[in-house]
Amino acid sequence: MTEFSVPTRTHGLTRTALPLDGLAARITDRFPEVEATEAYGELTLHVAPEHLVEVLTFCRDDEELDMALLSDLSGVHWPAGDHIIERQASTTGWPEYRVSREQGMIEVLYILRSLTRNHWFRVSVATPDDAPQLPSVTEVFTTANFHEREVFDFFGVEFAGHPDLTRILMPDDWIGHPHRKDYPLGGVDIPYKNDKFIPPPDERDIREVID
Amino acid sequence: MAIDPRTEASLSDDVLELFVEGADWESVVDAVEDETITINMGPQHPSTHGVLRLVLDLDGETVTRLTPIVGYLHTGIEKNAEVRTWVQGTTFFTRMDYLAPLFNETAFCLGVEKLLDIEVPERAQAVRVILMEFNRIASHLVWLATGGMELGSTTMMVFGFREREHVLDLFESQSGLRMNHAYIRPGGLAQDVTEDFVDRCEALLELLPRKIAEYEDLLKRNPIWNDRLRGIGPLDAETATRYGVTGPLLRAAGVPFDLRKAQPYSGYEQYEFDVPTETAADSYARFLLRIEEMRQSMRIIRQALDTLPGGPVMVADKHIAWPSQQSLGVDGIGNDPEYIRHIMGESMEALINHFKLTTQGFTVPAGQVYLPVESPRGELGYAITSTGTNKPYRVHVREPSFVNLQAADIMARGQMVADVVVVVASLDPVMGGVDR
Amino acid sequence: MGLESKLPNGILLTNVERFVNYSRSTSLWPATFGLACCAIEMMTTGGPRHDMARFGMEVFRASPRQADLMIVAGRVSNKMAPVLRRIYDQMSDPKWVLSMGVCATSGGMFNNYALVQGVDHVVPVDMYVPGCPPRPEMLLDGILKLREKISQETFAEQGARA
Repeated sequence: MTEFSVPTRTHGLTRTALPLDGLAARITDRFPEVEATEAYGELTLHVAPEHLVEVLTFCRDDEELDMALLSDLSGVHWPAGDHIIERQASTTGWPEYRVSREQGMIEVLYILRSLTRNHWFRVSVATPDDAPQLPSVTEVFTTANFHEREVFDFFGVEFAGHPDLTRILMPDDWIGHPHRKDYPLGGVDIPYKNDKFIPPPDERDIREVID
Repeated sequence: MAIDPRTEASLSDDVLELFVEGADWESVVDAVEDETITINMGPQHPSTHGVLRLVLDLDGETVTRLTPIVGYLHTGIEKNAEVRTWVQGTTFFTRMDYLAPLFNETAFCLGVEKLLDIEVPERAQAVRVILMEFNRIASHLVWLATGGMELGSTTMMVFGFREREHVLDLFESQSGLRMNHAYIRPGGLAQDVTEDFVDRCEALLELLPRKIAEYEDLLKRNPIWNDRLRGIGPLDAETATRYGVTGPLLRAAGVPFDLRKAQPYSGYEQYEFDVPTETAADSYARFLLRIEEMRQSMRIIRQALDTLPGGPVMVADKHIAWPSQQSLGVDGIGNDPEYIRHIMGESMEALINHFKLTTQGFTVPAGQVYLPVESPRGELGYAITSTGTNKPYRVHVREPSFVNLQAADIMARGQMVADVVVVVASLDPVMGGVDR
Repeated sequence: MGLESKLPNGILLTNVERFVNYSRSTSLWPATFGLACCAIEMMTTGGPRHDMARFGMEVFRASPRQADLMIVAGRVSNKMAPVLRRIYDQMSDPKWVLSMGVCATSGGMFNNYALVQGVDHVVPVDMYVPGCPPRPEMLLDGILKLREKISQETFAEQGARA
């Protein structure tokens, strides 16, 4: 108990990152069906769901890449048809923004990071939003456990092979996947005059939206 | 008449009865399968750092499995931000990790600025660094205070909150709020720092080193503190990386990974500081590490204060800059009379611009960015998706507490129930960040 | 529960009421129900600068059975609401609830699917303290006003509440 170690002071990991096209080339050489794009100084690899586990395992085990850390796993919902973002156009006069696509997709983004080589990139997988399914990567990165549960909870994506795919942040008996674009924001309608009684939560209609 | 219990018929067929005479307890009990007791800790519990529910599978007093159940503070911030403008997003995201709100704000604003492809003025960058490092000190003080209280040292609780008050006074004098300040906006700061900002920071930099040395003295050699923290909650580097753990836990395992060095943002590359690491990888190492991080933070603040540049604190582009001109005038409310006169009397375009910026907000080009910063708990990343409108399409927050909680299971196995408190305390989870 | 149930109906006991109210209001023991950012401000109120101990309140009882006052500090999500109600039910009479912060009072800035829009949909609230988060001085003001309210309560009101 008498030795007290003072933390050693290091200069942290500052190795210069590999250039992005070198990274992209290393993966597209091995997996020609992967598409690499670059924007805002960031590399994104678009992978099909059936190659996902293989690509991630390669990224983790390859010596040059050495992506030991899965930083983030998140979902974005791109709904089918016309999705109107600005819903108050009639009252404000602001331009009405629309996002249109034919097939609704849920895009799942994996941010991979290397601790020794100091580089990172993003892997993007898309799955149709009416029956979203992806292979689970918990065998490759254990940290994906909570993240995949969260994507399941909020988007409904079923990860095949996940040890315990249950809701994590919403109550266990919740119906619906809140972060999808067709799920309403919820809450109560707030009139600015005290003329409306707001019923307690269990008597409210879940489809009451703000606007 | 003597009844030999071993030959009498048992009371019921499905009740297991064991007859032990004293010395043969071990052999008899071990022959039977172990039963684990499952108990529930929380969500309302004095020692679980907020609304965290832990389900412990115990074999006697030893933990065989720990399952964290989260979601009791889920606020739907990410979805709510999709119906608010980019600047209003700052107000929402700042309430996620409420012990380090300036980190949330900075990470979000840096992401928006990356999409907008603008350069923040140097003065704003330096002030951001100073405020963030003070926030790191405040967050570590809360960790020391609550960790100490949970382990029984109420003195540490009182000391930690006493010092934190001084840091909060500084924040209040600059942004107007003690916590959850929406001070860092896309493009710079909401308003310039006050005239006595440097003096206040200097006063704090004089006060804090003495106090931190005091806390070290209080706890470092304390036999109870040592017994309760040494060897508890081990997490080696390989397991930590597999579980995605970053921050002080990873550095206590020997990996010198700090995003301020690896991917510098907001001018960190110009400051000289060290990244403390430890090799013991237990809770005591994390305690020493956080104290050392506070010292390094003060070093950064010293350098940033010495080289604080002048100039504006918001980008010059009038279509993005938050039009907040404030000075203490006759009305006492704070609206700058010169600015009001300009937009009301002189320039119609300025009025329209002001109106549009404060109601509709600016639009951000379409794209996806991921921007991580080094928060007191680890890698705090914002994955922002924009479709070219005035509202974020989707923002996902990679919160370090959410990811680090997965390692609680592996850290607590084989330890006693009382050590679970220490394990959760050394993880430093903030439930607002875990549940968002 | 409490003194009210032991008294026969219809008797007016002003001095006893005053004494009982004095002892109840000056040593309110809060139950730990800190949820989010307001919880940090609540802990700060118990800290050295804004000292809650001078009002007799620094003992935060972990067990709801030993507590009088539940300060709901922070946002109450739909998953947490049954837990809140259960803790409230476990508190013994007399008990009071102080809703701290706008999230507990009315849902705050989070008007969405995840939060209970006002904790008074779940438990009866005696004092609302707005703010995001309220300064420790504001919380102390709310507590002092609650003490005034308690010191003027009659036995009939407290009995009706139970």
